Amino acid sequence: MDLDTLAQQFLNALQLGSLYALVALGYTMVYGVLLLINFAHGDIFMFGAFIGVFGAFVLGLPFLPTLLLSMIITALLGITIEKVAYKPLRHASRLSAVITALGVGLLLENGMLALTGADPRRYPDNFFAASVTIGDTTLELSVRIVIIAVALILFLCLYYIVQRTKWGMAMRAISYDKFAVPLMGVSQDRIITLTFVLGAGLAAAAGILWGVAFTASLSPYMGLRVGWKAFIAAVVGGIGDIRGAALGGLLLGFVEIFVVALGSPIGISSSYRDLVGFALLLVILVVRPTGLFGVARRQKL
Amino acid sequence: MLFQVRDLHVSYGNIRAVRGVSFEVDKGEIVTLIGANGAGKSTILNTIAGLQAPDSGTITYQDEPIAGIPAHKIVERGMVLVPEGRRIFGNLSVYENLRLAGFRLDEPVLKQRLSDALKRFPQLESRQHQRADTLSGGEQQMLAVGRALVTGGDMMLLDEPSMGLAPILVREIFNILKNINRDGKTILLVEQNAHQALRLADRTYVLETGVVTLSGRSADLIQNADVQKAYLGG
Repeated sequence: MDLDTLAQQFLNALQLGSLYALVALGYTMVYGVLLLINFAHGDIFMFGAFIGVFGAFVLGLPFLPTLLLSMIITALLGITIEKVAYKPLRHASRLSAVITALGVGLLLENGMLALTGADPRRYPDNFFAASVTIGDTTLELSVRIVIIAVALILFLCLYYIVQRTKWGMAMRAISYDKFAVPLMGVSQDRIITLTFVLGAGLAAAAGILWGVAFTASLSPYMGLRVGWKAFIAAVVGGIGDIRGAALGGLLLGFVEIFVVALGSPIGISSSYRDLVGFALLLVILVVRPTGLFGVARRQKL
Repeated sequence: MLFQVRDLHVSYGNIRAVRGVSFEVDKGEIVTLIGANGAGKSTILNTIAGLQAPDSGTITYQDEPIAGIPAHKIVERGMVLVPEGRRIFGNLSVYENLRLAGFRLDEPVLKQRLSDALKRFPQLESRQHQRADTLSGGEQQMLAVGRALVTGGDMMLLDEPSMGLAPILVREIFNILKNINRDGKTILLVEQNAHQALRLADRTYVLETGVVTLSGRSADLIQNADVQKAYLGG
């Protein structure tokens, strides 16, 4: 592999990995706050991508406004799902909540299928024309660079919220000991709502970027594979830790791209991509069962 | 009367933990509820703080009924609980624990309360940026009390602040509570450590299996033969 190809593959890996990471963040935040694995999250990602289709075609919006619109509407969907489906089960068994999450996912997939049909969708050709004009010179931006940059900016915003604001402190506090949080004058419901807003908003952004990166790939079932992979990325990173989700997503992106890039010259078919990728991640979990950033939870009495 | 509990009943499933308890706390007082494990002390405090719903009975604070109000709203009324086992957020820094305790506060009030709390607990000041779970047991208890000072309010509820601490640290904590009370805060303290609690509190209620069996001025109860036998090892 020459240096140019290597650089290209590196960018591919960063792009794919940062998209997985954006989705993985939603899994990890909801788990941190509610100890719930939100199996509808992949479908929330799909929903975000389809709001993008709506914004681009029906409203004729360009890329950035579409991105914002989709993040806002999908965040509202996240709030609704939490209030309608998960909140009534907050004191029910974990199993009931997980089954409900799977049900919500099916509802979103099939609802979207009924609404838009089974044909794969794509964004308009001129949807993403990334060029910056400075003075007289116009700079063409690579799609991949923009996707990676948007993902990075979103992650940094999230990291700031979680690490530096009182809302983020409350989110981290709930993940450690939810009993004591109301005693600080913090409404647990509002923190949970915020968690779903952030998680769904990032998933929506990932959905739009996915549609830009891999054209003609928007289908109501697109959230299934991506959702599972992002979930695995969150677990490998150490579920409950946002740095872990980011790292896990990037790791998965690199493994998938480079298994194909390095494997095909020596006769390993690209259809082994997932096999090799997941085997590697399995090894990580054998060595570190709590994931890269995870710490074993003490059972509190 | 600042605070009154009348005929409070609380149960967990089939277990009736509190069975018709009444007591009151006047402004500026330190009142303690003592009793053995399982007497219902923590249940009473958790119910007052809004973490547990009562079956029946009234709780009145500043002339308003507060029974059944959720915990984060009780805080707004000006009452704060230092829970059993301290319950500090070990994954947050010492500073973040204090900052979170002032969640509802405006910036100037928050700043003032933070600096007051750190002045009260100088040990915490130098450890502000450490993770709270690296603190010793005594420091964690101080952080828990410091957090409650930042949250604020006229009345502080404390659930076994002496738990798991060496006697010298217990005395230190109780001295601090005395000072906090002198500075104007009303204190309701639940304790198994009857010795220290009786010495600190103006008045004491003795609790046994969910009912109050004895009450009075702490100075009198210390002399009481039954109390000495049951709680003071004498």
